[in-house]
Amino acid sequence: MSRSALALKEEGNRHFQVKDYAGAEALYSKAIVADPKNPKLYTNRAMARLNMSLWENVIADCQECLKLAPETMKAHYYISQAALNLHDFGFALEHAFTAHKLCVSAGDKDKSMAHVTAQVLKCKKEQWDDRERRRKRETTELESEVLSLMERERNEAVGDMMDVNDGSRHEIEADWQHKIDALRDVFEKARSGNEKRRKVPDWAVDDISFGFMVDPVVTKTGKSYERGSLMEHLRRHPTDPLTREPLYMSELRPNINLKDACKEFLDENGWAADW
Amino acid sequence: MTAQFAAKRLGKELQKINNSLPPGIELVSADNFEEWLLDIRVLDNNPLYRGHTYRLKFKFASSYPIEPPEVVFVKLADRLIPIHPHIYSNGIICLDLLSSQGWSPVQNVESVCMSLQSMLTGNTKDERPPGDEEFVRANRLRPKDIDFFYHDNNV
Repeated sequence: MSRSALALKEEGNRHFQVKDYAGAEALYSKAIVADPKNPKLYTNRAMARLNMSLWENVIADCQECLKLAPETMKAHYYISQAALNLHDFGFALEHAFTAHKLCVSAGDKDKSMAHVTAQVLKCKKEQWDDRERRRKRETTELESEVLSLMERERNEAVGDMMDVNDGSRHEIEADWQHKIDALRDVFEKARSGNEKRRKVPDWAVDDISFGFMVDPVVTKTGKSYERGSLMEHLRRHPTDPLTREPLYMSELRPNINLKDACKEFLDENGWAADW
Repeated sequence: MTAQFAAKRLGKELQKINNSLPPGIELVSADNFEEWLLDIRVLDNNPLYRGHTYRLKFKFASSYPIEPPEVVFVKLADRLIPIHPHIYSNGIICLDLLSSQGWSPVQNVESVCMSLQSMLTGNTKDERPPGDEEFVRANRLRPKDIDFFYHDNNV
């Protein structure tokens, strides 16, 4: 890094630390002009812009960084956060997963695992919420559309009966009312079916963070934990949480079946992400 | 981990605790994610503790549950400090489970309460730890920083 770019970056960092994000952003921009080939400068500016809610700019900076250094975990993590704010859920999730994968391969060197895991869950949750909102709106629209069609039919049928005696007209009217009520009932049942008892199965919950598992790893005892939580524990005490016997990160194995089961459950029960 | 993870986990523990707690354990207050109060009593007829309820104070750091909570008995007009060879008369508890070394993040508020219940239930000695008076007078350390000698984990 050229000397002036380094000095500008460090000054930017100082502004960032006192939460002067606009000041930091301007300094990082100058640093980038001085040294446009340094990927770190782009993620620094992206971080400042994340705090300024400049989502599109965050993504542009991170993509610039990834061109120079494709394995930058932070760039994927920031893109995921910005994309989530732009409601681009699929994109946000994809980059959260990439960040997570990079965390895993960095092993103990990267301390962001817990945050990145939380980001994966957040993406899943917001994606689910969005789908639910849309589905509810569509159902409500469909319901009122079908109801008004039926009401129109009824009015026509009753209109045709104007000159017939009151008795059979009331019969036709009651008949239609019954159908309309039955239809409302069907929609109502569908709605409450979705709100039915929501329980997260214990097998999907990490005993350390109490969060829903995204990337379970199994220890010698056969018990699985969320990778990020267990790493956090092992960093301070290299012992098995259950037996307190020595346990090292290198001894952990991914629990692929459990991971798939968790994913499948979450795909169908997105609300569980934020249980 | 940061305070955000501690809060999330404690929020979930609280949800569970509000649903149900084992017999002899009651939540007194949990207004924030820093300090909770719980009452415990023994379930058998141990004459040392029968008929008494004891107040526990849990303090959580932002590193919880990677690091243990600080747990002490609190003395009030109607809550005494239980007599036990591992409980000092100022409420400080000498229990391996609550030390940095003995703690495991799969433990939780409920399991700590249950361990303390069984620690009382299993005790027959009507005595304080050796050197109680001196310890209570001289100790200025936080419970987790005290280097207890866990000479007898069976008591």
